[in-house]
Amino acid sequence: MRNFKTTALLLTVPASLVAIGLYAAPILQVLALSLTEPKFGLANYQSLFANAAVGRVVMTTLKVSVMTTVLTVLASYIVAFAIIHMSAGWRRISLFLVLVPFWISVLVRAFSWITILRRRGVLNSALMEMGVISTPLDLVYNLFGVTIGMIHYMMPFAILLLYANLSDIDRRIMQAARSLGARPATIFWRVWLPLSLPGIALATLFVFVFSLGFLVTPALLGAGKTLMIAEYISVQISSTSRWDLATSLSTMLLLVVGIIVFAAMRSPALRAAFVARPQQ
Amino acid sequence: MKPRRIIEVGLPRLLAWCLLGFLFVPILVVIPVALTDRDYLSLPQDGVSMQHFAALADWSKGWLPSMLTSAGIALACAAIATALGVAFAVGAWAAGGWWPSLMRILLLSPMIVPPIIYAVGMVKLWARLSLLDSYTGVVLVHVVLALPLTVLAIGASLSNLDQRLVQAARSLGARPMTVFGKVILPNIVPGVAAGALLAFVASWDEITVTLFITGRAVVTLPRRIWTSIQDAVDPALAAIATVLLVVTVLALVARALIEHRQQRQKF
Repeated sequence: MRNFKTTALLLTVPASLVAIGLYAAPILQVLALSLTEPKFGLANYQSLFANAAVGRVVMTTLKVSVMTTVLTVLASYIVAFAIIHMSAGWRRISLFLVLVPFWISVLVRAFSWITILRRRGVLNSALMEMGVISTPLDLVYNLFGVTIGMIHYMMPFAILLLYANLSDIDRRIMQAARSLGARPATIFWRVWLPLSLPGIALATLFVFVFSLGFLVTPALLGAGKTLMIAEYISVQISSTSRWDLATSLSTMLLLVVGIIVFAAMRSPALRAAFVARPQQ
Repeated sequence: MKPRRIIEVGLPRLLAWCLLGFLFVPILVVIPVALTDRDYLSLPQDGVSMQHFAALADWSKGWLPSMLTSAGIALACAAIATALGVAFAVGAWAAGGWWPSLMRILLLSPMIVPPIIYAVGMVKLWARLSLLDSYTGVVLVHVVLALPLTVLAIGASLSNLDQRLVQAARSLGARPMTVFGKVILPNIVPGVAAGALLAFVASWDEITVTLFITGRAVVTLPRRIWTSIQDAVDPALAAIATVLLVVTVLALVARALIEHRQQRQKF
């Protein structure tokens, strides 16, 4: 009896050592460095909050993340809701259209958007040939381009989350509502929407947290002009070597993400949605 | 259809198809750009050309070495992450208790914690251990980032496994390693395979942390693509994007066909 449990626990040791030594330790070191680089104390955080450049970066990050989250969840809900009402054949086609962008490299997607949106890109050329505009529009390397790219990146995640959640809802409730004389709009607002709130909350949480610390798409589609936190941190470690700034900003980001996830997990409905997910 | 029905059902459905188009169509733009006859990023002007696909196979252009580098790193990562993930998931499932639960949270946290924070930590750690820009360094980081996926995939397989199977084997006198190797493992093969595949893809695609811990010696495919996007000149970039797109589509179609056949066999 004891022998079996000991063997089972021993099996968990190698992965645990990797997680502690190669994940927990380096991240704890980031936290430690933010308090000790260059000397011990909270001075880094004082200068962080006084730093106007950091303030601008934080505001940009919040603006892009909130816009991305709201638009992504809204658009994804519309798609997921339509998919669960389709026939099996159309549903397969729709899910295929979601899964291709889901699996394809984020770099390929960023590159596609640059090709479409840049000044001599596909969209500007087409609009100019049609005579809609006479000078090319600035569609990328700004807030607009970053937000479009982020929404495009986040939507497949959100659609799959919402689709799983909506598929779990018992359709007999809608039948009951209909047989009691509720109109389609009433059924949506009074039955579908309240029942899918846990899924919406989960999708919102994931998209917002991913957006806050996202590097690739903002860096490529913002090209240094629309600067978000992750790219700002990357500049501090790779070109200016400001470890004080990089580590204290990383710590703040980790703290914010931790608080959001912790607060969300206190809600029983959300915890249930999160825990139930891997079993599907 | 009545006007009310058009607004309540037709309009949202139309909107959904437009949004699906927004997800899928922009990716297709890489195909015509890859076929351009010019040597800068552009749509084909006077006919199509395959020269940029040929450039991918040219060793001196760097794309082929990067593909091999990424494939090698991804294979090593998948092997290590799967071995660690199987041992952990099976052990945690059989043992239970606070320690496996705590370690599970730690192992899964790379899915939520922004990778840029991990990158900051790893640059410091690898600099101290002289593992910056080394294959070992990249593989180990990719293993950490792939472990959540293998643990989740194998955990999903285990949640369908009947605990009584293990009890039966033990009551018949099977030794612990026999139970793990001959009773549990054969029953979770699909989960293990899914975990290995996810680990391979995670490593093959990883860019955020790799960007900071590699330099000139280890140039993975995502890293080369990243540099190439910033230069925004070479159409070979569109060619490699097209290749990745085609492979993704083929893999998804193959999976759909296999699932379809399995479902038909059931009935």
